Amino acid sequence: MKYFSYIWRNMRRNRVRTVLTIGSIAISLFLMMIMLSFLSVNQNVSESLKGYNRVIAMSSQGFATPVPIRFVDEVALMPEVLAASPLSWYGGKYQEEVMPFAQFGIYPDKILQIWDELDMPDDQSKAFQADPSGCVIGYKMAAERNLKIGDPLPLKGTIYPFDLNLTVRGIYKCPPDRDGRMLMFNWNLLEEGLKKEFQGRQAGNAGTVFAKIKTGGDLAAFCKKVDASTINSDTPTRTQTEDAFVAQFAELWGDMRTMISAVGLAVVISLVFVSGNAMAMALRERTTEIAVLKAIGFTNGKILGMVLTESVLVALMGGIVGSLGCKLLFDVFDVSPYTAGALPFFFIPWQTAILGLGSSLIIGFVSGLFPAVAAARLGVIQGLRKVV
Amino acid sequence: MSENLAIQLNKVSKEYSRNSMRIPVLQGLDLDVRQGEFLALMGPSGSGKTTLLNLIAGLDRSTSGDVNVDGLNLSQLSESQLTRWRADHIGFIFQMYNLIPVMTAQENVELPLLLQPVSRSERRKRATTALKIVGLDGREDHYPRQLSGGQEQRVAIARAIVTDPALIVADEPTGDLDRTSASEILDLLETLHRDLEKTIVMVTHDPQAASRASRLLRLDKGQLVGDETQAEAKFRLGAF
Repeated sequence: MKYFSYIWRNMRRNRVRTVLTIGSIAISLFLMMIMLSFLSVNQNVSESLKGYNRVIAMSSQGFATPVPIRFVDEVALMPEVLAASPLSWYGGKYQEEVMPFAQFGIYPDKILQIWDELDMPDDQSKAFQADPSGCVIGYKMAAERNLKIGDPLPLKGTIYPFDLNLTVRGIYKCPPDRDGRMLMFNWNLLEEGLKKEFQGRQAGNAGTVFAKIKTGGDLAAFCKKVDASTINSDTPTRTQTEDAFVAQFAELWGDMRTMISAVGLAVVISLVFVSGNAMAMALRERTTEIAVLKAIGFTNGKILGMVLTESVLVALMGGIVGSLGCKLLFDVFDVSPYTAGALPFFFIPWQTAILGLGSSLIIGFVSGLFPAVAAARLGVIQGLRKVV
Repeated sequence: MSENLAIQLNKVSKEYSRNSMRIPVLQGLDLDVRQGEFLALMGPSGSGKTTLLNLIAGLDRSTSGDVNVDGLNLSQLSESQLTRWRADHIGFIFQMYNLIPVMTAQENVELPLLLQPVSRSERRKRATTALKIVGLDGREDHYPRQLSGGQEQRVAIARAIVTDPALIVADEPTGDLDRTSASEILDLLETLHRDLEKTIVMVTHDPQAASRASRLLRLDKGQLVGDETQAEAKFRLGAF
């Protein structure tokens, strides 16, 4: 501790270099936090969905190919199923907003059966079912747009050539790891629009089918059963559990986990070089000083310890700014409204932030090791040159 | 080794190797320095005076022969033992002062005391006393950049004496100073020698500086070619 003052002042000796080193570590860790958190949040959501017993059936050819609406009824009639509903993307524009949010056509009477984690008063649920142009919205969306029950909610079609003039009939609450910004309206409204304004093209279809399975049901077996029932139809399906469905979004970008891990490792290695170079430069400038310290009695171990402490402290500062700063920022600032529904919510988990801090400690230690050993092994006479 | 000898060198040789070539720097040197002596080492460049100083200060090791300081054979100490020994027994004064620029005068003087089992308040007290001895009381909070060359060297001297070492080694302590500052520094070294009875070994090219020493050694090509007492040295140097 009695050497801390000297170490601290050495860190501040070349402030520009120290700030740049801290900055490079902070920025890199900041980006790494985002990438790692994207994976972990996705995984957490995927894990948390396992308890809801839901499956999603879609065309085996992907999202772009819808499944016929009769398929919803076929699934609903299966003995394992509690309730089933289409989930059809509308993708309209609200007022002058640039960023779209999730808008789905569904069966109003099934919403609370299938998504039983959503919490909505009975009267609002009934009002939604009773109003063909009604809709329910998440509490976050209502708060951000100051929408209340009974407010009109016009959506301008961007994919389909017709608009939807909806009225807010319900506002749902949900756990923090669920999307609080969805809008759900009666699937029939979408169907009527397609029939009237699109000469019936694409009518009679559900985008995907959501089904709630009875407790104790074997989801994997059920998925196989559904797919087996459509294998010889015009639209063979691919049915999967909801958690697998969510996980596949990450997989859409390829093997994200491996890629992000590789990028993270590359970041750590490059930071070791950046930080190590800064430390080496700092110590090269202090060669004589180190020799003086050794001359007056500082042992190799003490020199090693002081240099390593300095290196670790610089990197740790970068870690605090990059990792904890990133966590704090995303705790305060909700980025999800700007992701067009791709990220219903986003936060930096504590374990990821701590991983970032740990990485900064490792970066500091490894990057400081070589300069520290070199400083410790510096010959006094060599360091003093022609002085004593 | 007799009790009042501070330094005793027995047939000390030092060689450096460069590209498989052996370069002798000191050859079979014998030297006795009594406690409380103020020794000036003179000689042309490459004569081996700084190498000799390094051996006496425990910064370097002889190729052969024994270097005894305060009755301890330095060649028998390990590297870490030698480092700790320096902390306890040697005070260094360098030509370029070599103060830590990010530390105040007080903190620079306290630096060697960090290695001693001394409390913080005791460190401050001793450093303040050392600065007072060198005439820098009131400048404790000044950084080296805020001091003149002579004042910096005074801080360096305070740092050298703060642990109360038996031996002070100085390599060209006035080499980077103007005549007035140099004279003040030499006055200070004389005071340390006279009043505090410190043994001082000083390398210098300056006959004026050497004239302050109680004994003058001349080196040439790694060998002692002159060993004069204060009176003899003053007589001869005064004749220049």
